[in-house]
Amino acid sequence: MATNGRRQIDEDDEDIIDVDDSSLQNNQANYAWEEEYKRSWDVLQEDEHGSLAGVVNSLQQKAKRKRLLRDTDPIRRGIIRHLFIVIDLSSAMQEKDLRPSRLSLTFTYLEAFIAEFFDQNPISQIGLVGTKDGLAEKLTELSGNPTEHIRALKLKKFQESYGEPSLQNALELARSSLIHVPAHGSREILVIMGSLTTTDPGNIHDTIAKLTQDNIRASVIALAAEVQVLKFLSTQTKGTFGVAMNEGHYRDLLFEVIPPTAVTTTKAASNLVMMGFPSRSNESAATLCACHGKLTLGGYICPRCNAKLCDIPTECDICTLTLVSSPLLARSYHHLFPVENFIEVSWKDAGSTTACFSCQKSFLSPHKTSIQIQATTDAGRYQCKLCEKTFCADCDLFIHDVLHNCPGCLSQPRPKTDPRRAVHNGAGTPSHAPVVPSPLSGGPSRMILG
Amino acid sequence: MKDSSANDSNLLVIVIDTNPFEWEHASSPLRLNDALQHILAFMNAHLAGRHDNKLAVIASHVGVSSFLYPKLNEVDQPGSKQQTRKNANVYQNFQVVNDAVLTGIAKLLQDPRPTLEEKDLGSSKIAASLSLGLCYINQALKSDGMGHIKPRILVLTVSPDSSSDYIPIMNCIFSAQKANIPIDVCKIWGEDAVFLQQAAHITEGIYIRLDDPHGLLQILMFSFLPDVFSRNYLCLPGQDQVDFRAACFCHKKIVDIGYVCSVCLSTSIATSSKTWRQGHCSESKLIKTQHSNTNGNMN
Ligand SMILES: [Zn+2]
Ligand SMILES: [Zn+2]
Ligand SMILES: [Zn+2]
Ligand SMILES: [Zn+2]
Ligand SMILES: [Zn+2]
Ligand SMILES: [Zn+2]
Repeated sequence: MATNGRRQIDEDDEDIIDVDDSSLQNNQANYAWEEEYKRSWDVLQEDEHGSLAGVVNSLQQKAKRKRLLRDTDPIRRGIIRHLFIVIDLSSAMQEKDLRPSRLSLTFTYLEAFIAEFFDQNPISQIGLVGTKDGLAEKLTELSGNPTEHIRALKLKKFQESYGEPSLQNALELARSSLIHVPAHGSREILVIMGSLTTTDPGNIHDTIAKLTQDNIRASVIALAAEVQVLKFLSTQTKGTFGVAMNEGHYRDLLFEVIPPTAVTTTKAASNLVMMGFPSRSNESAATLCACHGKLTLGGYICPRCNAKLCDIPTECDICTLTLVSSPLLARSYHHLFPVENFIEVSWKDAGSTTACFSCQKSFLSPHKTSIQIQATTDAGRYQCKLCEKTFCADCDLFIHDVLHNCPGCLSQPRPKTDPRRAVHNGAGTPSHAPVVPSPLSGGPSRMILG
Repeated sequence: MKDSSANDSNLLVIVIDTNPFEWEHASSPLRLNDALQHILAFMNAHLAGRHDNKLAVIASHVGVSSFLYPKLNEVDQPGSKQQTRKNANVYQNFQVVNDAVLTGIAKLLQDPRPTLEEKDLGSSKIAASLSLGLCYINQALKSDGMGHIKPRILVLTVSPDSSSDYIPIMNCIFSAQKANIPIDVCKIWGEDAVFLQQAAHITEGIYIRLDDPHGLLQILMFSFLPDVFSRNYLCLPGQDQVDFRAACFCHKKIVDIGYVCSVCLSTSIATSSKTWRQGHCSESKLIKTQHSNTNGNMN
């Protein structure tokens, strides 16, 4: 790989960095500082026939790579997660190798991350820890309310960065909160580290051993280079490790944390978690809310203590009951029942389909496409194994990444025998489906029970 | 998504429930043919509203869901030749849409019934239609690029909720919510459609259950025609109460405080319920896999 030879390390850093390029080997991208200019127009290269097929091809390749990563096995996933994000707020974060600077990029990405995290993990909780000047500080406590975290991220005082970070202090602080988390939820730490050094009061390996013992998974995103202790931390706790090479790669690494991870423990018993399903009340006169102490018109009433709260999901401030709504629980279902990956249709078989099943976009006809182009591109058709409907690349991505339904499978009469169809069928029908008084459907749970 | 402005064109995706079991039922207050006259007038009104307003029509039939307009392969030539010059008194664009919808529905109704299972009877494929509509909108937004298309979905339904559609409909709702696509629902008659009520609530669309189905056109024109931008300035019908509480898995009772399984997220009224403890995740092979965490491959 060209990147190996070209990677140079600043002489001052040489003794600190453990030079290991294994994470780079399969990647074409360079570090941000290695790029001479941003010449995005060079990416668009016409081939000898003057067409842009090569560009289209590479874009499709990119999409395909993303598709290959998808894991559609119905495995057990930790849906209820508890995640602490440790943010390095040391002077190293002021470096400008990631634009506009490591720190401001991190805060921008974290805002998007938090919104997306709660979108996909609606009954999970996040906490934020910052570390600077040899100390660690909790920016927010574990909570399931995204606005609270985003507000904290916007506070000026948290955005100052100086001094050295302390990895051990930050990990210990996160650990002290995570060990009180009930066992049915996952315990995770995500460390975002810009510094190559850490100032610790004790032996960091003791802390790592304690994390392993407490079943806490620590993943690390390093912004500068691979640091041995960070890598050791992630491998010991079965987390992931990545070095951000440029802005886009940083974002990818960060967002990889969002899908719930597969649970590898073999304990078969599931836990039952007590949750409240508050109803919304509309009031004619304003009353005080329990969460902010403000006068508001309407809110959600905690079914256990009758306190009024502004928003769900949250924990009741009075009695600490977890308050959710049935659609929120339903939001997590697509993790349990993912859509099976589509298979690529070759040019040879492409003649039978003329347009995408779901968006009606016409496909390139194999008869009108030259052999040269056919050799370098794929047919742009992706087929669902179950319904045998064909989709375009855009719809394939949309269906798997956003929609989580196969329109083809849904728009056919459903055969009983296919276990996979059970996902779209009665098997997955959860108890949260509101009871429908209808002679034909007979309530949502009938199929499961009968 | 950018704020809507008065100069945006509107993409309206209409999902028509063509379930013949409901429309041709002896007690139905309105025939499909009559209702279609209302709906076609509404579609034409939408197209007439702006020169660049766009329309897609999807039929949600029993056991199948398909596009009526634009039809497969005809995207590039909307006014294909055989359909032109039928009626000199009708604006060309209206003619094309009307013909496509009417012939499409006629074809659906004539088609030999696919072999249906009992549970398919009486429920139409709303989830499939919504999925198709969302894919279509996704593609339209992608090819637009400028962000000037404001999509919305209107579901015209007569069928009762189909409980097996719960997860797919929820998935559609969340993707629509993410993309800021309002789902409007018009229940022409019958009981409230609970899933679609939630859809309208979560995506900030409008839900209306008609008192008098013969007034369909009026409701369509006054409540569903205004685009996303105009809605800011109008006082449109809202929903007073949407029930978001969960139902207990075993007793089918609505619960306030329940116990949720940390693996499959099903809810029960009490931990002591033995049948639930043993049975809640084991009925389906798939969920069993979730629990025992054995081999993940189903086939
Ligand atoms: Zn409050
Ligand atoms: Zn309470
Ligand atoms: Zn498509
Ligand atoms: Zn399919
Ligand atoms: Zn029960
Ligand atoms: Zn369970």
